[in-house]
Amino acid sequence: MKNKEKKTVFSKGLDMETLRKMLFRDKERFHKSQAKLPFEEKITLLVELQKIASEIRPSENRIVWKV
Amino acid sequence: MKNVIKIINGMVKDGLIDDYAVGGGIAAMFYIEPFLTYDIDIFVLVKQGKKGKVFLLTPLYDYLKSKGYSWKGEHIVVENIPVQFIPADELEAEAVRNAKKILFKGIATKIVKQEYLIAILLRAGRKKDMEKIDKMFEEGKVNREKIAEILSRYGLSDKIKKLGLL
Repeated sequence: MKNKEKKTVFSKGLDMETLRKMLFRDKERFHKSQAKLPFEEKITLLVELQKIASEIRPSENRIVWKV
Repeated sequence: MKNVIKIINGMVKDGLIDDYAVGGGIAAMFYIEPFLTYDIDIFVLVKQGKKGKVFLLTPLYDYLKSKGYSWKGEHIVVENIPVQFIPADELEAEAVRNAKKILFKGIATKIVKQEYLIAILLRAGRKKDMEKIDKMFEEGKVNREKIAEILSRYGLSDKIKKLGLL
């Protein structure tokens, strides 16, 4: 059971190069998984991004969609 | 967005436009991870005016105006979403005719296929267009042969070679 535990970036004993490789690999996987989301879900996320952006920098020219 | 699609489908049904497809950032988002954008680009095939290649978008805008939608800059705001209607040129018209048919929340619509989108973005050539192309090659499943064929016909092969993507 112990052998089956997935190594994560939080595991102890990783050298910096391995740790960096794992971080960037996970980051790439995350982006690819986001790309595979259903289109409708992506549009929902887009609206969330618009809300965040409007809170950070409000602008009359930028409309937050209602979907 | 569902209501915008309904309105545009209604424009096809009422004969204001022959056909359409979603292009630009929203089409790119179909293939890559979500990113911030605020408008929808719609490539439209419209009937040509009697005097040759004069595209008449006025009836289209009058139609939307009659439904209470208003202008904001270069967009018309439909159901709270800025929409830009772009009369399709030769490449875009081919993209519209070959667009992917999808359902968005149960409503039929068309999205420009990735291979055409890459050609359109490559031709536009802005930095943000190049970033989307990069991401499509990284994250999407691109048909390289099809892209090469389209780019060749539209004289864009050199541009993609410079990027080292094909």
